[in-house]
Amino acid sequence: MTISARLTVMLLLSVFSPATISATVDQSINDENGLRGWHFRADNIEIELIQRLPDQTRAMLMKHRFSPAVIEQLAQSCMFQTIIRNISDADSGQVVTIDQSQWRIHHNGREQGIMLKEPLLESWGVDDADDAARLVVRWGMFPTRQEYLASDYNWGLTAFGLPPGTRFDLDVSWGVGGVQHTGRIPAIVCAPDVDTLK
Amino acid sequence: MKRLILLLLLVQPGYMPAAEILSPIPGRVMAPDFNLPDTEGKLHQLSDYRGKTVIINFWTTWCPPCREEIPSMNRAWQSLQNEDVIILAINMGEDEDTIFVFSADYPADFPLLLDRDGEVIAEWPVKGLPTTYVVAPDGSIAYRAIGGREWDAPAFMEIIRGLRVNQAASDN
Repeated sequence: MTISARLTVMLLLSVFSPATISATVDQSINDENGLRGWHFRADNIEIELIQRLPDQTRAMLMKHRFSPAVIEQLAQSCMFQTIIRNISDADSGQVVTIDQSQWRIHHNGREQGIMLKEPLLESWGVDDADDAARLVVRWGMFPTRQEYLASDYNWGLTAFGLPPGTRFDLDVSWGVGGVQHTGRIPAIVCAPDVDTLK
Repeated sequence: MKRLILLLLLVQPGYMPAAEILSPIPGRVMAPDFNLPDTEGKLHQLSDYRGKTVIINFWTTWCPPCREEIPSMNRAWQSLQNEDVIILAINMGEDEDTIFVFSADYPADFPLLLDRDGEVIAEWPVKGLPTTYVVAPDGSIAYRAIGGREWDAPAFMEIIRGLRVNQAASDN
């Protein structure tokens, strides 16, 4: 990815865990497409969130048999390309566990969870998506729960269920050696939809 | 002198500690068997490859890290195919036409298998794509990698060849 304008906002964050861990958040802008990214890094984990335009999601879903309503639902759900990586030393044996159902969005004074794929898939009727289309969501969206050994990483789509252009804070949580940690990624912005692009 | 050799090893392009390539699976479980067609219609049953090391890669064409690792996987295949090592890349949910078009940009000489309805991937402990398993000659799952890797890295070759050596030793 070519990034000419790298807005490096190095924030030393306090992480709300029994053992105090420092974390940093970098913010970047892709010079070619204007998409913004947030890169969170703590002792054992890296989390990268890259904006995804609603039109990118529409284009991906239109190749499969989704109903127009489902395509719009997902396109306008504040989708981010997400990469999570266990950055522990290879020999440390540290296992990182992720449970996205524990992640919390803070927006307009309210707290809510993110969109998880399991309830999403269950909410659709037979006319909303055929079996092949469901596989795309099942494997394209980030796994809700996953265990990462050292050097493991996964990528996928995370939907935050907020309208395009919305600004929010995200509390991410992860476990290492039975200890749960939480850190905040502040001022994330959902990608705008086509009608607001300049 | 030892330090110099170690330093040279560390700066060698492609050098990567073994543990950063593959994670060993404790208490090795037997790999779930499957019987899937490749893009040319030939069936591949995992249990038919008993006695060989089998690298099983779950992937799709729309997964960026899956695409990125195909060239290095193909280079690994060129080096290992005559050493009783098999690579089976199981595509999840796509058809022959999609893979045919994709292969023009990402050529792969190893078999690309079709798991059209996702039944095989559901039998394996896969959470995300790509995920790769190394099945030892005795049919057990020896190693796992979640996420893309440089499959022709010297450390990877060393691990794969080591499985065959260990099998030969236990056979004798």
